Amino acid sequence: MKKLLALGLSVTMAVSLAACGGDAGKETGGADSGANNNASEPQNTEAAAGNEAADNSAAAGESTAITLWTYPIGNWGDSATVDSIIASFNEAHPEISVTVEYLDYTNGDDQVNTAIEGGQAPDIVMEGPERLVANWGAKGLMVDLSDLFDTTAGGEIYENVAAACKSTDGAYYEYPLCMVAHCMAINKNVFEAADAMQYIDEETHTWTTENFFKAVQAVYDSGVENVGAVYCSGQGGDQGTRALINNLYGGTFTNPEHTAYTADSPENIKALEELYAQDGINFDASIAGGDEITLFRNGTLAMAFCWNAAQQVNADNSAAGTTNNGDTILPMLFPSDDGKAELCGGIWGFGIFNNGDDAKIAAAKTFIDFVCNDETQAKESVKASTYFSVRPTMTGIYDGMEIADTMDEFATYFLPSMGDYYQVVPGWATARTEWWNMLQRIGTGGAPADEVQVFVTNANQAVSEAQ
Amino acid sequence: MAKSANVTDRSRALVIRETRSAYLFLLPSLIFFVGFVIIPMVLCVYTSFFDSTMGKDAKDVFIGFSNYAELWRDPIFIRSLKNTIIIVVVSVPTVCVFSLWVASVVYNLKGPVLSTFRCIFYLPVVTGSVAVAVVWKWMFNNYYGIFNYVGKSIGILDKNINWLGDERFALGCIILILFTTSVGQPIVLYISALGNVDTTLVEAAEVDGANKMQLFWKIKWPLIMPTTLYILVITTINSFQCFALIQLLTSGGPNHSTDTVMYYIYYSAFKLYRYGYANSMGVILAIFIAVLSAVQFKLAKEK
Repeated sequence: MKKLLALGLSVTMAVSLAACGGDAGKETGGADSGANNNASEPQNTEAAAGNEAADNSAAAGESTAITLWTYPIGNWGDSATVDSIIASFNEAHPEISVTVEYLDYTNGDDQVNTAIEGGQAPDIVMEGPERLVANWGAKGLMVDLSDLFDTTAGGEIYENVAAACKSTDGAYYEYPLCMVAHCMAINKNVFEAADAMQYIDEETHTWTTENFFKAVQAVYDSGVENVGAVYCSGQGGDQGTRALINNLYGGTFTNPEHTAYTADSPENIKALEELYAQDGINFDASIAGGDEITLFRNGTLAMAFCWNAAQQVNADNSAAGTTNNGDTILPMLFPSDDGKAELCGGIWGFGIFNNGDDAKIAAAKTFIDFVCNDETQAKESVKASTYFSVRPTMTGIYDGMEIADTMDEFATYFLPSMGDYYQVVPGWATARTEWWNMLQRIGTGGAPADEVQVFVTNANQAVSEAQ
Repeated sequence: MAKSANVTDRSRALVIRETRSAYLFLLPSLIFFVGFVIIPMVLCVYTSFFDSTMGKDAKDVFIGFSNYAELWRDPIFIRSLKNTIIIVVVSVPTVCVFSLWVASVVYNLKGPVLSTFRCIFYLPVVTGSVAVAVVWKWMFNNYYGIFNYVGKSIGILDKNINWLGDERFALGCIILILFTTSVGQPIVLYISALGNVDTTLVEAAEVDGANKMQLFWKIKWPLIMPTTLYILVITTINSFQCFALIQLLTSGGPNHSTDTVMYYIYYSAFKLYRYGYANSMGVILAIFIAVLSAVQFKLAKEK
């Protein structure tokens, strides 16, 4: 019996070792070919070689298996929605199979980074330029997607959106699908009860900085202790706090060339000082953007700095556009001293990791081309995101749907205010971390002037290290 | 003579066969141990001497002890180390004393009652740390947490306290949660150890007139010393490695006030992509744990 067991174990071990050996060989080959691709060949040649490889596979009747990892961008985090998109893709391209993994914003980056280090990066990843271009692209891990921009659909993409997908080395590391302008929101019922709606232009969703502070004070004086929260426990939703602070007195986050951080301007310092001194505004190091939305929806906070169209049409806990107890949610542009807010944009699309397999790269490009450019599918793909198309020619996405009016309102009043997409500055990952750490220090009594200086010094150091 | 040689050969063959079988049985565990413990440990020490980061063209640059030198100039690491030491110094004695006290009170209770107590104290250990963290996060919530609600209701608090978002309280909250998740196993171990104390020794001491305190310190305490040593070492290691609670509740904030060395290792490696630097911290942490464990062994042996 003992002999039999020992023999069984030996065979098992031998088989598993042999299997490991086989995989290792494959990986080495892949890595080598990746290195060759990366040497100094022009990307077009690489793409052409890739297409040729895919064609050869198709001709030989072989299928190419690719992996797609997606962050929860609207319903792109919902398996039923993504499965239907893949089913449509497979009708057109049965030779390519797509396996999906769903990431979240808490651990998603760690999962991708671990996969990269383990040589198991996905073929396609869906996210925004701050990760695809400024982070993984800048580290030389992504495939140049310039050829996709050369298509008819690619040529229609908004110029500023295409620019955000372009790296400083001239390569495009993201092919964009959808976008949104992040905004803020108020609880209209609470504001009405506090007689604070007089400070708001309800039709255009705008307010001045002066009126913002008056409104917050009025709501606070009406007995609402927690009007708004400058959340800073982590990077989740940090575009809201950046936009709030930059807009109040016209400060900037980076220079126009996106080569240096400029958040230490007097305008930003003044904004931080006034926010800190304002009754009803808490610098809260125990919550991030997602927590803030929960607190806003359950009526604890009277305003949210982390908002967008997808939040407005979300009907998970109550009717769209209302809080959990039925109060009306009014989306607002961030307050600014000249009344012209610049909203932080969100752009989402696809990037391809260079795993050194030309056939997979070609298959991944085919998938992206279908999802983003196919006449019928592209609208469905954008609809799945609950955001807006990056192409002005693609209209009427939400026609006939219940949310059509809300989406039109966002397209009319919010999208045109989308500001500079500065999230592609080198060293962005470090700068993001420095930002919420800075807010935490200010929240615990640090002088804004000193703390923004620390932020800018550390963030700019990350820029120079990344270049 | 020939017969005797034959017997020796056969017994040697038997020993070889037995040994071979033993190693084959060990092999699966050994492969996992080498693959997931030994090799990563060696790689950790090796990488700590390099400036290692992510990137296709990024090459690891040998920098000797620079990572180690930088650690002692890094205020965040120093703060993380201090926080870790505070957690260990507060957590280890309180866990040991509390679990010994609870165990000594309940160990001679009747079967079902004892089992109930065991279950109650062991529940936080078997509950997933994410679930534990979510419940505690809710209780500590700045806006609607139960601690603020009760505190204000009975007049202890004037206004809400941002327990996890205030530097003055955040680390204390973490230590409290760590305490509740750490006491279960020591209590169960102490209950077993106290139950196994030889009753004849206790009875003999009672006959000799020993009071309850003398019984405990002179008879039971020396006999449960191996258990105490095990609990000390395990609790020390767990306290040094406090990570999940920090990541789930505070992300090291506010203002690095709840950063521990383990969390800073994760932060440096996964957020800042400084793999070599993070590994050097890992080595230092391992040295700290090894030294403290050795000291605990030595002191316990002397006793």
